[in-house]
Amino acid sequence: MKLLIEVSKKEDLSIDSVDGYILALKDYSVESVCSFTLEEIKEFVSHTEKEVFVKCNKNFMNEEIEGLTRVLKELDTLSLTGIFYYDLAVLEIKNEYSLKTDLVWSQTHMVNNYKTCNYYHSKGVKYALLGKEITLEEIQEIIKNSSITCMVEVISKPSVAFSKRKLITHFYQDLGKPSKKEIVVREKMTDTPYQLLEDESGTSFFMNVVTNGTGVIKDLLEAECPYIIIREFGLEEYFKELVQDTYSYVQGNCLDESYVEKYKKIGDSTNFFFKKTIYRVKK
Amino acid sequence: MMNKVELLSPAGDLERLKVTLLYGADAVYIGGQKYSLRANANNFSLEEIKEGCDFAHKLGKRVHLTLNIVFHNEDMDEVEEYIGQVVEAGIDAFIVSDPFIISYIKTNYPQVEVHLSTQNSTSNYKAIEYFAKEGVDRVVLARELSKKQITEIVEKSKVDIEVFIHGAMCTCFSGRCALSNYVTNRDANRGGCAQVCRFSFESGEEKEFTMALKDMNMAEYIQDLIEIGVRSFKVEGRMRSLYYLAVVIGTYRELIDRIYDHSLTEEDMKVFQERLDRVANRETSTHYFMKEADYTDQYYSGRSELSNQDYLGQVISYEDGLLKFYERNYFEVGDTVELFTPKGDHIEFVVEELFDKEMNPEEVARHPDEIYYLKILLKQEVPEYSMLKVVRRKNESVQSSSL
Repeated sequence: MKLLIEVSKKEDLSIDSVDGYILALKDYSVESVCSFTLEEIKEFVSHTEKEVFVKCNKNFMNEEIEGLTRVLKELDTLSLTGIFYYDLAVLEIKNEYSLKTDLVWSQTHMVNNYKTCNYYHSKGVKYALLGKEITLEEIQEIIKNSSITCMVEVISKPSVAFSKRKLITHFYQDLGKPSKKEIVVREKMTDTPYQLLEDESGTSFFMNVVTNGTGVIKDLLEAECPYIIIREFGLEEYFKELVQDTYSYVQGNCLDESYVEKYKKIGDSTNFFFKKTIYRVKK
Repeated sequence: MMNKVELLSPAGDLERLKVTLLYGADAVYIGGQKYSLRANANNFSLEEIKEGCDFAHKLGKRVHLTLNIVFHNEDMDEVEEYIGQVVEAGIDAFIVSDPFIISYIKTNYPQVEVHLSTQNSTSNYKAIEYFAKEGVDRVVLARELSKKQITEIVEKSKVDIEVFIHGAMCTCFSGRCALSNYVTNRDANRGGCAQVCRFSFESGEEKEFTMALKDMNMAEYIQDLIEIGVRSFKVEGRMRSLYYLAVVIGTYRELIDRIYDHSLTEEDMKVFQERLDRVANRETSTHYFMKEADYTDQYYSGRSELSNQDYLGQVISYEDGLLKFYERNYFEVGDTVELFTPKGDHIEFVVEELFDKEMNPEEVARHPDEIYYLKILLKQEVPEYSMLKVVRRKNESVQSSSL
């Protein structure tokens, strides 16, 4: 099982106790706190032997398609391991221009069953980043029954929603105050905290509680999960140590029980790993 | 102008299906009891789907079935059997977001259309090229698009394009939102959306953070959308009332027909817009169509929904000068009311004589769901599902009332 990281500080790309990195491409990605220009990605790729994935996960508009095509062609020259996509325009462009770089199906809340994973695999998509609103049992079933190479985000502040609207700017406009680019809000009845980040693309919502999936890494290893992911956002304080320890833990076949104990400090949220969502309120 | 644009109505149950088709929808979209994004609407059993399809087909109209949840493993177990059953029941099109399901339907039931759900938030022509190759017949576009963007998509696409023209809006991209999952544990993408984007949030500032949107109302741009070549106009609201749907669908029917027969006047447009405004329970906007969505498209003070008391009654019959109806909201002798019908008639009159179900004279109708009678002389027939609404209360001046 390989470990990928997505950093929130560029200098943390120096962490090398990983199998690979996920870099969000500036202007072509959302739901990331740190993005990289094409030039920065080229530079980084030229100096690493690790796997490098690039996030290109916006909902694209017509006027962005030309630029997207150009950038995908350039990325195709870099021998990347893969490109995360949300918009099917990316898959269409890959097919149209016979681009060789593998893709990661990364439609945030939609990657929830093995049949659709197999569908995308049959269309030439190599990887799938599984949704974060499904249970560990569902994840295990997908890994077992799908031909696609699965990735599971185990430690992160989950991305919860994305709006094209400038919601923070509008809020402060109403207050008559200078806007911010980041705000934490809290749903009152359930005390659910969200962190909102705004950029030119719109507003990203993150759960402002870190999912602590240290306890499921062993299960994922046993399920032969190909990749796990840690995102730095919200974990900056001890990210480097966490990554190093997780890498060692996985390399040691998850036998070191002190690892899970040590990282109880991340918190006790296991997100939906052990909790099923419901959808029918009345019969 | 070539083929007339389709007016596509929501229908949360069989009665809404019939009413909206009678009021002028060319097609309805419905949810079955499985796999629909409105898990808490009444939705249709297989028998009801068949009855609805039979009803629609006799009128030369169509039924689209939503199958647009984001599927989990367990949802896949019986979906193939279900697809066969609803095809057998007579549906004309599926509205789908999952590409595996699209592929399954096009492989096994090529005679049935597949429409890509707005749940995919399709926002560019290149993504549509992908789905066209997969056999999708129609794409329901994301609601975040401008006139220019829609125009370019229609020009470059080989499939039909459908857009939303009226109703509630999601704050986030459809499908790219799990706020409901995290706050209420209700799965937004499997039909359990709790509309968390209409909640208020503590912000640490002097006001709570809100992000609720005004509804969409595209009436003033219907002509533009027809000229662009959009194939279908979709109205949101499978859980809306019969009255709301009758007014909205009836109004858009008249508006579209008058555009096609070149008879639309400014005065008509004013009347149509006032009808739509009055039945709405929120303020409206055209959102992204003519500008980037901005500050003015949102609410900043929590839920801002109005209760509408205009709907007075649903007509049961008209015989011998007596209009028999189920009362819905209070009204009284002396009020000015309007009788409107699925045929597009709008008849305004003052209530002069009102009777209860035993034909005892009454001054007021104050018991919802009870049968009342009105005495009125009409030259035309009054079809089933005609409705009564208030125009002016008797103590209200002409200037302060609207349609």
